Amino acid sequence: MNDQANPSSAERAAKLQGMGSSRKRVEDARFTQGKGNYVDDIKLPGMLFGDFARSSHAHARIVSINKEAALAVPGVIAILTAEDLKPLNLHYMPTLAGDVQAVLADEKVLFQNQEVAFVVAEDRYAAADAVELVEIEYEALPVVVDPFTAMDADAPVLREDIADKMEGAHGTRNHHNHIFYWQAGDKEGTDKAMAEAEVVVEELISYPRVHPSPLETCGCVASMDKVNGKLTIWGTFQAPHAVRTVASLITTIPEHNIRIISPDIGGGFGNKVGVYPGYICAAVASIVTGVPVKWVEDKIENLTSTAFARDYHMTGKIAATNEGKITGLACHVLADHGAFDACADPTQFPAGFFSICTGSYDIPVAHCGVDGVYTNKAPGGVAYRCSFRVTEAAYMLERMIDVLALKLGMDPAELRLKNFITKDQFPYTSALGWEYDSGDYHTAMEQAMKTVDYEKLRKEQAANRAAFTAGETRSLMGIGVAFFTEIVGAGPVKNCDILGLGMFDSCEIRIHPTGSAIARLGTISQGQGHATTFAQILATEIGLPAEDITVEEGDTDTAPYGLGTYGSRSTPVAGAATAMAGRKIRAKAQMIAAYLLEVHDDDVEWDVDRFQVKGNPEKFKTMKELAFAAYNQAIPGLEPGLEAVSYYDPPNMTYPYGAYICVVDVDVDTGVVDTRRFYALDDCGTRINPMIIEGQVHGGLTEALAIAMGQEIAYDEMGNVKGGSLMDYYIPTAVETPEWETDFTVTPSPHHPIGAKGVGESPNVGGVPAFSNAVNNAFAHFGLTHTQMPHDHWRVWKTAEKLGLTG
Amino acid sequence: MELKAEQKIEATREQVYAALNDPEILRQCIPGCETLEKTSETEMTASVVLKVGPVKAKFKGQVELSNLTPPESYSITGEGTGGAAGFAKGGADIKLLADGTATRLLYEVHADVGGRIAQLGGRLIDSTAKKLSAQFFAKFCDLIEAGTQAPSIEAASDPTPNAQPAAANRIWIGLAIGVAVVIIAVALSR
Repeated sequence: MNDQANPSSAERAAKLQGMGSSRKRVEDARFTQGKGNYVDDIKLPGMLFGDFARSSHAHARIVSINKEAALAVPGVIAILTAEDLKPLNLHYMPTLAGDVQAVLADEKVLFQNQEVAFVVAEDRYAAADAVELVEIEYEALPVVVDPFTAMDADAPVLREDIADKMEGAHGTRNHHNHIFYWQAGDKEGTDKAMAEAEVVVEELISYPRVHPSPLETCGCVASMDKVNGKLTIWGTFQAPHAVRTVASLITTIPEHNIRIISPDIGGGFGNKVGVYPGYICAAVASIVTGVPVKWVEDKIENLTSTAFARDYHMTGKIAATNEGKITGLACHVLADHGAFDACADPTQFPAGFFSICTGSYDIPVAHCGVDGVYTNKAPGGVAYRCSFRVTEAAYMLERMIDVLALKLGMDPAELRLKNFITKDQFPYTSALGWEYDSGDYHTAMEQAMKTVDYEKLRKEQAANRAAFTAGETRSLMGIGVAFFTEIVGAGPVKNCDILGLGMFDSCEIRIHPTGSAIARLGTISQGQGHATTFAQILATEIGLPAEDITVEEGDTDTAPYGLGTYGSRSTPVAGAATAMAGRKIRAKAQMIAAYLLEVHDDDVEWDVDRFQVKGNPEKFKTMKELAFAAYNQAIPGLEPGLEAVSYYDPPNMTYPYGAYICVVDVDVDTGVVDTRRFYALDDCGTRINPMIIEGQVHGGLTEALAIAMGQEIAYDEMGNVKGGSLMDYYIPTAVETPEWETDFTVTPSPHHPIGAKGVGESPNVGGVPAFSNAVNNAFAHFGLTHTQMPHDHWRVWKTAEKLGLTG
Repeated sequence: MELKAEQKIEATREQVYAALNDPEILRQCIPGCETLEKTSETEMTASVVLKVGPVKAKFKGQVELSNLTPPESYSITGEGTGGAAGFAKGGADIKLLADGTATRLLYEVHADVGGRIAQLGGRLIDSTAKKLSAQFFAKFCDLIEAGTQAPSIEAASDPTPNAQPAAANRIWIGLAIGVAVVIIAVALSR
């Protein structure tokens, strides 16, 4: 019986800065003062530097490699090629997707900028100079750039290393450039729904190849201590523990002799999940030389060789009644994985959670199938600020809903409202088998429409269209509506693992005698503010002020094992572990309190920061007092100390959702799209730190703007990367970024200890279709069903031109 | 990449031929050209230091002449490699037309450009290519004008010695333009 009326409880709770508090980010003190400690800040005595000589061809046989001139550069220590790695069996490394990837090109190169030779030198400049002098003679081979031609009968064999291995990691390959076919749902039932439907719409929705492009590129410092046989690697790792396990398996160094440390990370967005040749080469170079070796890629290397995202070509098909009730959904995806399948997906899900593609709608029957193919492009396929392939699925569906609305002559928002899963259907099992934990979509959508005055916007658009037709304006107004449901927090160990490692996560807490604490987690922040938010979860759970709790992550020698941070899994999984570990602390503290207060365990109750005797709140022991008691009292039946560890295996994923509305003005003569308004309502369940949520939403929306309006890693027909530098790859600045309006509803996850669902990736998932729908909607009355992203000025102008609108 | 352009040169066709016949003139005209050597009657090699934005490298090029229809048109194929900086493979069709006392030089280039130099964005490469072309023809026109007073021109355009050298000369002209154009083309990619 908490005494809710007692104002001191509320005051004490406020002091803790626990859940719900917009506590300022504790990380920012060092980041804003330039005191962050990133990989490239690490300087060790005698450290050498590595740099790659990379392929200028997209597909070619290596005729010869001449190291002579490069070795003559003063300061160059060694140059590694595949020939040097072969005796160590390290010229190939396993990928997270069950494929293998060449660490250094073995006899042939498969994509432009592929790693061919690794130069090790005393300084970065000597290494860079020597890279220019490594003479590699190539014999060009035919290039496969277009994934739609990858499985042509006469397509060249890209992967000679597995050419005769037709059983892949995800089933039978039916062509030498085929990786896998994966499907979910009821094909027969869906075909039937399509055949019987009153209305069917079909469209090829391509999500171009983009790159997460974190500000800090990938890199590492590998240091082999030959005396004690211990290999330490500092690196930009989103999953340090998994990297340790993989490193042990690859190098055969016992796992206890490998220490992986992720220091401060300058953004990851999925780019830093994978294992890259640079890590392996730096480690090998350090093992060989016995001194530390640093490898840090530059921006062009980052954009052109370490994990890209998307490149999904999705043919969506929706069946519906004339009244707009959806009766079936089908989707086939051609997935371009590049030269190696290096996707970062749970093992059983080679196309990630793409089967979330029924989204927020009550669709009775559905089927999706994904064919993965090899092309002469960089490997990757990571989840760029989204859970595995969720953003691709959301984009396809939300575009298709608009295509259907156009066909039916219905308002896109009305069509969505008509098909939403209703509140009373939760927990809801989708046609493709996911069990949605909780949601109230109608409330969210209606709140969004009301806030932006949707009806008025549509009236304004009608007036704009009339004015355009009358020749009074050259600007077209577009309104983009998107409603998404994510599937995050991977995930239950029973069906989610990466390389056999269950996707649980962990938290270990030590309470110090004076009543402060350290919590260590298996995750790693890349800017999300873990040190702030996880301390808040604990503050509420164990009643110590958040400012007295240190949160530490990323050192495998100290932190408990966990699968890392990506796919919005930190709060849903590690956040749950944190709460559960906190509850273990509290359970022991309760026994200590009962002993000190000389009552039975059941006769004390928790109140914010203390245990008090039931019915006698004046008799209490604060958590601070209990912490000290744990270290100085000999309590019968209780071990000294106050520590706990929790490994949390989530019973289900979480399903955050949101309603986004975007208003744009398109200048048909220049193709310039001006974002007039962007409203984002997110429901991420329990909100731990509203200010951090808002910051995450702002960041994610800005990335969504970038993807929808300009980002693309394009290749020409020779396989040259076009725009592999920030001169061409679009990163919005404050100038291009509109003002974001954020809003929320709260529908806690019923299975999560604190009801939190995760939010970091929602704005990317929902933002991209909102922008794209707005641009498409601007031209919808001219019959335009779909135009491919990115909606840069050129493409938008071309769309206007094709529709005969340009003067 | 594809490039189609035309350059008007204030000299007669014969004078243009004569100037193009001189490998030394050509070496001076191609920006960054270090060497230019004839390796057979229809082949030559050149090395050129090119800088496109942050990429600076020495390109070694080889070109070969074909489809000779003297003196109006030639085709040139060739390739150049610049090590880590990239490579180019392509060709050019060249026409020389008399235009009063001047000559119109028409060239059409198609080249496949790969490697780091091809990765750079269009803006940078376009401006570099424009600059290189302008430099080439400015220098070329200067040298022709200076050369019109030189007595050697008379000798070069004298048809008397025998027919063979004249044919070889025309081949040289094509090769020379080809080298220039293909090497410039290395810098032109989209």
